[in-house]
Amino acid sequence: MSDSPAIQTVGLSKDFGDVRAVDGLDLEVRRGEVFGFLGPNGAGKTTTIRTVLDLIRPTEGSASILGMDSHRDAVAIRRQIGYLPGDLAMYPNLTGHDTLTYFANLRGGVDWPVVEGLADRLDADLSRKVGDYSTGNRQKIGLIQAFMNVPDVIIMDEPSTGLDPLVQQEFQAMMREVAAEGRTVFLSSHTLSEVQRVAHRVGIIRQGRLVDVESVHDLRSKALRRVEMTFAEPVASEAFRTVEGVSNVAVVDRTVTLSFEGSMAALIATATDGRQLIDISTGEADLEEIFLAYYRTDGPDDVHTSSTGAGVQA
Amino acid sequence: MLGSVWAKSIRDRWSAVVIAGVGVGLLLWMAMAVYTQIDTSFYYELPAAFLEAAGISAEVGGVGGIAYGAMYNLMGAMALAGVAISIGASAIAGEERNGTLDLLLANPRSRTAVASAKLGSMVSLVVLGGVLYLAAALLVPVVLGVDITGIHVAALMVHLSLNALLWGLLAFAVGGWTGNRGAAVGSAAGAMVTSWLATSFLPLIADLTDVAKAFPWYWFNGGQPELNGIGWGHLALQVGACVALATVGIVGVRRRDLRGASTATSLLDRLRANPRTQALVERMAGSARVSGITAKTMSDHQALLSVIVAIVFYMSLLVVPMYNLLPDSIGEVFSNLPEGLIAAIGGVDMSTPSGWIQGELLASVFPIAAITLFASMGSRALAGEEENHSMELLLASPISRRRVLRDKAAAMVAFAVVLAVGTSVGLGVGVLIAGFDLPITGVVSAAVLGSLLGLVFGGVALLIGAATGRVKVAVFGAAGLGLVAYFVDSFFPLAASFEPFAVLSPFHYFLSSDPLVNGMHWGHAGILVATFAVLVAAAVPLFERRDLRG
Repeated sequence: MSDSPAIQTVGLSKDFGDVRAVDGLDLEVRRGEVFGFLGPNGAGKTTTIRTVLDLIRPTEGSASILGMDSHRDAVAIRRQIGYLPGDLAMYPNLTGHDTLTYFANLRGGVDWPVVEGLADRLDADLSRKVGDYSTGNRQKIGLIQAFMNVPDVIIMDEPSTGLDPLVQQEFQAMMREVAAEGRTVFLSSHTLSEVQRVAHRVGIIRQGRLVDVESVHDLRSKALRRVEMTFAEPVASEAFRTVEGVSNVAVVDRTVTLSFEGSMAALIATATDGRQLIDISTGEADLEEIFLAYYRTDGPDDVHTSSTGAGVQA
Repeated sequence: MLGSVWAKSIRDRWSAVVIAGVGVGLLLWMAMAVYTQIDTSFYYELPAAFLEAAGISAEVGGVGGIAYGAMYNLMGAMALAGVAISIGASAIAGEERNGTLDLLLANPRSRTAVASAKLGSMVSLVVLGGVLYLAAALLVPVVLGVDITGIHVAALMVHLSLNALLWGLLAFAVGGWTGNRGAAVGSAAGAMVTSWLATSFLPLIADLTDVAKAFPWYWFNGGQPELNGIGWGHLALQVGACVALATVGIVGVRRRDLRGASTATSLLDRLRANPRTQALVERMAGSARVSGITAKTMSDHQALLSVIVAIVFYMSLLVVPMYNLLPDSIGEVFSNLPEGLIAAIGGVDMSTPSGWIQGELLASVFPIAAITLFASMGSRALAGEEENHSMELLLASPISRRRVLRDKAAAMVAFAVVLAVGTSVGLGVGVLIAGFDLPITGVVSAAVLGSLLGLVFGGVALLIGAATGRVKVAVFGAAGLGLVAYFVDSFFPLAASFEPFAVLSPFHYFLSSDPLVNGMHWGHAGILVATFAVLVAAAVPLFERRDLRG
């Protein structure tokens, strides 16, 4: 059992009436990794998470956590996980402290110094009522309750909602530490920069289907590069659009920025053909751009497929 | 239906009005069907005071008059007023609690305009309710071939609708000044029940007849509009009170700092914040209330329990000794009453202490209070947490759905014990003050059976909530079933052909054994306990199989 994946879904589908929210999802999250689950709004991220947690039941397929069936072993699973819902709601008339005490009691007690440590790190005030908190401060209580029982798997749905940048950094450090201890973090997000900073691997979901699963490293090193060129004279963008492998061309005065995939030779040739190239810099495209490359087009045929992906449905 | 604040408010609430209208219409149909099978001539030989207590006017002729009295003067009036109170309390205070009022007022609409639109929708909905009542009142006699000549049905509905509006506006006014929906519902419902009680039993005592005229409920049926047509003086009082309350409410909304979607600071919180009282409060309420699901559920409803127990306690002390103020002649009158009529006014002979306590307390106020308490708990137990989205977190804990349900049901059982004890003490003290010769075991038995009755309807609410995840459906379901059950128990015994079915009503197992005199009827207690157990057990698979609402 110890070598079973942290989270696994097999052919997981969920229908709401006629609408198929999740469609044949095959996903495997390994132990000891931070797994980012990326997709636009309405892609099926929350439905997947709620199905895995047995809050709703799959129409087809199955899911398991730590090798235990998500429905049959629901209670045993919950002993070993932490969960932060996307639409976090707690009891408005309880203080942060009472809220955490309640959930700790339901778990048969937690190590209270851990709670205090987490509250310190996130700079959370536990003395006030949950109903009086701002969104960010309420989110901190949610995060503490997800981490406080030192779970083997932490599942979080859009966890950064309302957190300020400093707290976000601390939160990212916490996720890294969890992974370093061999435990697992599964977080859904539509904010790529966040996932990019912490995740080892990323699953991309669109319209209920898993489009791709790749390591962040692979995703970035996917030939897509960001290129910025500065010329002596103003240039027109048209000349670059026709070069093979070029996309997202933007021209501001004498500077051209574009995304590029393929061999540089053709691009350099075009850039120097009758123009005076003063400076050129290239860098890894960030996930935001890669994400756009996946989602910009609508047809399934245009989806960027990958040989390393698990269960590519396109 | 989203063109304006008025239309949106109608859209949110029309279903409750239609349910009340159709429900009361159906009950009227059943009541008339029962009445056509029995000899109602005895009604004409009775003193008006008795019939008034039951909402029936003696002078109105025939089956129609009796059925209208029974259905509309109490049940129908309370149902529509209840809906109006809910609408009035939600108008401003409800939107404040949901945090949607901020959004609404971010639009180019003044507070006065928003509040007025809300009031307009409330008036429209109450009128709709009145029209539905009227339609049923005119349609049912045609279907059953009952003659209703000489009965001013429309006048009755005008007074009834204005009465409902008045209580709704009271809730609106309280909500407008406090922004607290719970306070608005509680104070308006409390005032309404007090007013109804005052109107129904003050006239029984000669010296206090005029006092009853000061209560708004008297303006509704004190002048017997079904017999005499519209009473213009009472109508003016009703309209005047409505305008005054609406104005007060709007002024309150205009003047006040609106609350965000946060919670009120309770007395407990203030004591908790004070260093001197903190330790004590923590010991009494603080640590215990989050120790587990049962404890937390109990603490969530502690306030409602306190209010309900206080009402029952206070009513016991007030109403029970009042028996001694009744004129002696009342006993003679009652000893001559036919059985049919006694059944119609709650199945009790009010000339005996036991009958008085049943008629004025146990058969009316107590079931309403108990069902309110347990239906509220039962509906919120599962469906409430689902609607608040807090079920997601609860079930992230290593706890099965079955255990959540079981622990919540345990809290309800614990509350039934508290209610039974509180009622026993209140009734016992009342009986002691009044000097009644009733056994203490009888008092305790009545309290226990009544609490179990409430528990059964709590079980109904729990079951519906488990199956649907919707608080409103659970509340309406339990309250509607309670109404039907009450009806079945009090009216079916009147006609031989309906009587055998009275055992289907849980109410039958509360007072039919006359527990105040005869003590505990263990068989009846067993049936109520078993019904609750079956309802909870049936809720388990329904809750376990369902997709929880996100």
